[in-house]
Amino acid sequence: MGAATETFYSVIRRQGITRRSFHKFCSLTATSLGLGPLAASRIANALETKPRVPVIWMHGLECTCCSESFIRSAHPLVKDAVLSMISLDYDDTIMAAAGHQAEAILEETRIKHKGQYILAVEGNPPLNEGGMFCIDGGKPFVEKLKMMAEDAMAIIAWGACASWGCVQAAKPNPTQATPIDKVITNKPIIKVPGCPPIAEVMTGVVTFITTFGKLPELDRQGRPKMFYSQRIHDKCYRRPHFDAGQFVEEWDDEAARKGYCLYKMGCKGPTTYNACSTVRWNGGVSFPIQSGHGCIGCSEDGFWDKGSFYDRLTNIKQFGIEKNADQVGMVAAGAVGAAVAAHAAVTAVKRLAGKREDAAQDQ
Amino acid sequence: MTRITIGPFNRVEGDLEVRLDVEEGHVVRAEVTAPLYRGFEQILAGRPPLDALVLAPRICGICSVSQSVAAAAALRDAMGCEAAPNGLLATNIAHAAENAADHLTHFYLFFMPDFARETYSAHDWYGATSERFAAVRGNAAREALPARTRLLETMGIIAGKWPHSLAFQPGGTTRAIDLGERVRLLSIATAFRSFLERVVFADSLENVLAIATAEELDRWRDGRSGDFSWFLRLADSLRLADLGRGPGLLMSYGAYHGMNGELFPRGIFAPRATVEPLPLAQITEDVSHAWMRESSADPAYSTTVPDPDKAQAYSWCKAPRLSGQPIEVGAIARQTIAGQALVADLVSASGSNVRNRVIARLIETACIALAMEQWIKALRLSEPFCVNSRDIADGAHVGLVEAARGSLGHWVAVRGGKIERYQIIAPTTWNFSPRDSLDVGGPLEQALVGTDVGEAGPRAVAIQHIVRSFDPCMVCTAH
Repeated sequence: MGAATETFYSVIRRQGITRRSFHKFCSLTATSLGLGPLAASRIANALETKPRVPVIWMHGLECTCCSESFIRSAHPLVKDAVLSMISLDYDDTIMAAAGHQAEAILEETRIKHKGQYILAVEGNPPLNEGGMFCIDGGKPFVEKLKMMAEDAMAIIAWGACASWGCVQAAKPNPTQATPIDKVITNKPIIKVPGCPPIAEVMTGVVTFITTFGKLPELDRQGRPKMFYSQRIHDKCYRRPHFDAGQFVEEWDDEAARKGYCLYKMGCKGPTTYNACSTVRWNGGVSFPIQSGHGCIGCSEDGFWDKGSFYDRLTNIKQFGIEKNADQVGMVAAGAVGAAVAAHAAVTAVKRLAGKREDAAQDQ
Repeated sequence: MTRITIGPFNRVEGDLEVRLDVEEGHVVRAEVTAPLYRGFEQILAGRPPLDALVLAPRICGICSVSQSVAAAAALRDAMGCEAAPNGLLATNIAHAAENAADHLTHFYLFFMPDFARETYSAHDWYGATSERFAAVRGNAAREALPARTRLLETMGIIAGKWPHSLAFQPGGTTRAIDLGERVRLLSIATAFRSFLERVVFADSLENVLAIATAEELDRWRDGRSGDFSWFLRLADSLRLADLGRGPGLLMSYGAYHGMNGELFPRGIFAPRATVEPLPLAQITEDVSHAWMRESSADPAYSTTVPDPDKAQAYSWCKAPRLSGQPIEVGAIARQTIAGQALVADLVSASGSNVRNRVIARLIETACIALAMEQWIKALRLSEPFCVNSRDIADGAHVGLVEAARGSLGHWVAVRGGKIERYQIIAPTTWNFSPRDSLDVGGPLEQALVGTDVGEAGPRAVAIQHIVRSFDPCMVCTAH
């Protein structure tokens, strides 16, 4: 605090990070955001000259998996870059202050950085019983959220909870857990869905916003296009087995050992937009499909109430034909609801038409 | 008498509020509130049983493997099958990685930063402590976080992703580990051991685990570097062994199931007594002070229905009791019951307290780092990792495991192929339980009573030490 004119660069230098590491960070960030090498110098320039952007990170009804994912980002500087340097002014999971002192930090940031700070929200507000299913500092979380959102520049909705509601909103939704955009309607909101989102996606989004002072390009559902424009299925390394009609029938069976497709085990990869099959998890080591389990579609709206996670998406009559794979994707996406249907029908059709060749080459 | 409220608490998992009645500078009564409720047990009812493997872990982003393993154990009970030995080993390896990561997080990110508070600036150890452990800017986190991240690559290899992994099934794990992956797992385990030996203990794990008594511990730490020794120094200086004494009874469900029983066995421990078998049927839940409707006291038959207007209630957390008594769970319980020499010696001398809880956690971390190496070597790569069975029997079933923070139980009742009831008692449900109908407080409530808060009142750092020494996981508590 008390560093309104401080730049990102001056903070990291004070932390003992070398200039060389700083530039490495910039170019890696540019690459991970898909911006190309020239953007690295733009990022470096911005971080050296612009005042750092304060980030307020609040927790509603949630399980902290988003924070957990975030602090394990494999990004070389992330633990410093994001935990301390991008001025994570309030995150009650890791901060030093407690109780009233912590509340005071919120108030101070709100006044001092009015209209300039980013409000990152993990979890969502439950609205039943006047909000008493999530009481924070003696007040319902929903009030605190509205207060902090009022003076924020933009809001990051971390994870499936903040974006869509997630499992706590599953039927019968006992607490009426409600996504952020149903409560805050007058601010730009970027949704970064997933349960949790991938660490590198989270740091990528934060770095983009704090670097350029604006949100990255979003799709119709409010997700950053750079990370959510492809289905898991499009870049899945098991895709050739799907196309060839080779499927796992039971956990760890012979087909599983050969790495066949998990569609019959309930994999939701064909209808799920996320970067798992490209960025992967836990430092790029793996992702659920690689562990032999299907994707459950945790970044999609309503993934918690679409029947058993182990049921097949739908019946496919002819395996091994590309066109049918895409139909599967769109049929199931259409069932999700009007918003998704629009997305699937308009965006996805165009995208799939364009991306098909890339995908084929990758394999 | 004055009443003070402390909350929101930071550096704990989830939300927590504590109310204290203070007389002449001492706490005379404490009430612990879990202010967050989502209704997982209500949500699980009516769904296909296997869906619990996806939904239940999402109770908690920190102990999700523990929740997965408990759900898998309950379903295994329902299927009446045994897991593949490889599956048990792979599950143990991943579960150990999560638990060790939790212990590290607790020590470096949650617990130690309190000693960097200005309150302590007059102490000769303050400068170095602040530089090393201060929240966010201390240099210890910069060593611990990468070590933790590296350790959790284990999850990538075994479980695909973490938190909220999917690979853990009733019959084992969904994927076979190949030779190359075994080598990678071993190198991760070795790197973790080396971090512990270099940074935490400044000695080999074998030497650390050979310390059998408090006297030997004093000799061992003399002049030794490492964060564990540093903590012992602070513990002496601030007399942390006199702080936050638990109710006395300790319990463990038994941790890391293998073909030959558990690595840390099941049992209960009463002060001035020996370890005894756990009377499982004596576990009950009391809702007299929880915003919950009355239902069966037996977790196998109870339901969870909120009653937000209930008079007297002050928490979403039910009050679990064993034979009617509050009981403490966690690493200190596991290690005492397992007969770990040093922890048992410390507990027999001074019971469960702030210092001993932290020591038990670090000693346990050393134990499981060694066990991980053994489990990885014991995998028989050509044999099955999963036994498949889809027949789920109607009836009441239970899965009992140990999460980092203590005993975790899932009670599931199945009827007609659907979940009829689901009841979860998490570690912090035990430790941070509210009062029961006899007005007996939970372990934390008891541990806070008698604490000297002096002039500082709500700012008394002693309260922070006591609360954090339990390493609460509030999102698991009331789920």
